[in-house]
Amino acid sequence: MARYLKITLSFLMITALITACKKDSPVDEDGLLITFRQECFVSNFELLGSDFISVRSKTAVIDTVAQTIDVEVLFGTDLKNVYPQFSLATDCKLDPKVVGKTDLSDLANPKTYTVVSGNRKIRKPYKLNIKFQ
Amino acid sequence: MRNLNIKHSFLILVMLTSMVACKKEVYKIPDPVSTLTNDCIKRTIGPNIVGLPIEFAYAMAIPKSQGKIVSAQVEATIAGAAGTLLENRSFYTNASGVDVPITIGTPSVNTGAITKVTYSIDTNAATLRYYYAIPEEARGKSVSFTFSATSSDGKTVSYKLGPYAISKMDIKKNLAVSNANNAYISIEDMTVYNNATLGSLTNKIDLIYLYRAAPVNFTHALVSPGSDPAYLPGVILPSGLTKKTKVLKVFNLQDRNLANLQYGIYIDDKDFQDISFADAPNYALGLKAESGTWVETADGKYRAYIFINSINAAGSAVISILRYTL
Repeated sequence: MARYLKITLSFLMITALITACKKDSPVDEDGLLITFRQECFVSNFELLGSDFISVRSKTAVIDTVAQTIDVEVLFGTDLKNVYPQFSLATDCKLDPKVVGKTDLSDLANPKTYTVVSGNRKIRKPYKLNIKFQ
Repeated sequence: MRNLNIKHSFLILVMLTSMVACKKEVYKIPDPVSTLTNDCIKRTIGPNIVGLPIEFAYAMAIPKSQGKIVSAQVEATIAGAAGTLLENRSFYTNASGVDVPITIGTPSVNTGAITKVTYSIDTNAATLRYYYAIPEEARGKSVSFTFSATSSDGKTVSYKLGPYAISKMDIKKNLAVSNANNAYISIEDMTVYNNATLGSLTNKIDLIYLYRAAPVNFTHALVSPGSDPAYLPGVILPSGLTKKTKVLKVFNLQDRNLANLQYGIYIDDKDFQDISFADAPNYALGLKAESGTWVETADGKYRAYIFINSINAAGSAVISILRYTL
């Protein structure tokens, strides 16, 4: 009888261990939560100079269909040392990441930033077009 | 039975340990000052810059029954520059928070690195301010101070402070610049020149102050002579002005020394050592009051921070410069 009890208890413990370790929420390679959201767009864009003050001369135009961001910057803006700031839909992330000062001075070859949706299944590349005032 | 004995002994041991652990230490009233005593604090904070003073407050006291204070002195490891003094007035702070002075002796005398005040009144407690004017020979070195006081009963006490590192920076404050007049800025000389005083010093000019109402964001600008002519609109440069100085715009960096003792921010030697001028432009447009620019001269000899103290819409400004020699 005691033998049966021991076996049953062992099974119960193993089952409990397996269940306890189950991961409910998956995370991506950046440690960010992968959610069910499919929204994938840029909602706002800001461009700051080396003094952390906006260098835009007017509000950036974001076309979520054409997937472009058109921004006009002030005369004399040093585009080699700017900080782009993207506001994204909930749970989205940006690729490549903006990690600090960015060189956006090559106006002939606009930089492309890709928005990745919360479920990490949709990727939308946005072309960043900059022109001087 | 044996087990029970062990249990009882263990319980007693635990109880004893608890009692010892919770013992309260009785507060002991400190001994009153029974002899000549002193204390000192450094009042200035921030980097120690040549030409600016370091301020200390030196307090000394002796019980009335023991006598009075006869003299106080400070010895620095490097003699202070002109302006070094130990106050001959003792300060106390009144109920309104105002420091009130009381003269206690003759003005201090500097003998080499020693600054001394001899008391002329009968007092047994005083706090004297000491202002050490940092001399040129202390630049990049360390300075220490020994404060001491002597009483009428022949006793002497001393208090050591330091060492304090003396910065390699230079400072020049409140230089007036104006469009097409006092417009030529030399970091090497830390001076602003105009067409009349420029003469043959064109090779020393690192930046030109400009004011343009249009385009709207141009306004007050610091442009290096060798930068793109688009950033020097309407400027006819004297021959020989070709330097390409690196300039980085900054906002919200109001160094306390440059901003005439406002704000609590200090720029130190390390800031100049660490800043990167990679890909820095040769101009800074749209400068506002209390903004600034990090600057590196074309020959890489100097780095500087130019602070805009004030601006005038008519096309002039007041600037202050902090310079670091690399």
